[in-house]
Amino acid sequence: MILDLHTHSIRSDDGRAKVENYCQWIRKKEIPLDGFVLTEHRQFDDDSDYRGLEDRYQLLILKASEVETDYGHVLVFGVNDDLRQEFDFARIDNPIGEVLEAAKRCGAVAAPCHPGRPNVGLFAHYERKPEVEGIELIEVFNGGSRPGEDDWSVREADARGWAGFGGSDSHIVSRIGFCATEFDDDIRDMDGLLTALRSKRFVPRTFR
Amino acid sequence: MRFEDVELGDELPERHPDVSLERVRTFVRAGHHDFPRFTDHEVAKREGLPGAVVPGIMSQALLSAMIHDWAPGSRIRSLDTVFRTPMIVGTKPTCRAAVTDVDDDARTVELDITMTTEDGVTSVLGTAVVELD
Repeated sequence: MILDLHTHSIRSDDGRAKVENYCQWIRKKEIPLDGFVLTEHRQFDDDSDYRGLEDRYQLLILKASEVETDYGHVLVFGVNDDLRQEFDFARIDNPIGEVLEAAKRCGAVAAPCHPGRPNVGLFAHYERKPEVEGIELIEVFNGGSRPGEDDWSVREADARGWAGFGGSDSHIVSRIGFCATEFDDDIRDMDGLLTALRSKRFVPRTFR
Repeated sequence: MRFEDVELGDELPERHPDVSLERVRTFVRAGHHDFPRFTDHEVAKREGLPGAVVPGIMSQALLSAMIHDWAPGSRIRSLDTVFRTPMIVGTKPTCRAAVTDVDDDARTVELDITMTTEDGVTSVLGTAVVELD
């Protein structure tokens, strides 16, 4: 099963993609995705209900968040009410240790995304700050990466024993599926995704 | 290009517009938008930029020109862009677009539009709504 774990819709301030257009594009272009996760910036989208689109297009559509920390951006899967009481999703300087610990405590999974990117990636911060404890997986393939960034992420993940996943980081329709993650198991909902991420039974894929 | 000729998923022909210093100078003078950061690499670097940058309105104009090359006579109803990385004057950008939505009633199409640097980094992305005959 292949899921794009990192996408943005018009719910994000810099997103320009409508969710139904993602679905239409995937089917029209025969992109080998079984679904995608909407990871809106600095928020969790409580309001949108995509079950109708899931049925119409036979795609799994899940919701997560991309939050900002003092060590760059972090994807959070399995956002729940408890987690949202733990830190302010709208802040741009959440301490990464608090985000990782809160996610674990509340049953979510948090993972740095595009870690090789200047300014907003984890590794840029390692040049002037101590390394972070508690990381278990990172996004190693990102559809918006500059040349060399993903290679760096793969090397660091291998060296540190972290699992690596992929996501397109699409902000417009035609970028969905540039990168994704292939899971060994069938995933039907967010609980299934969390179980699969913890099991590390997946591989990152790139379709660029 | 007529509305009936367009389908979801169609990709417009790529364009590699001229953003040479000479071309940018001509543009900013014509548009009364003449600031040194667009035409002088040293001034731009002193402002913290990697070099003289292509003005945002010129990037939008080049993307619009690509649309009109594809569909002469079409009307661009909206052009919504996000600027992510500076496009440096004198480089070789690529403009791309694809049809991502079709409105039969309004006879409009929505396009994804992008301008990327020569090493593939997205400088400008966005959408355009275009009315066709």
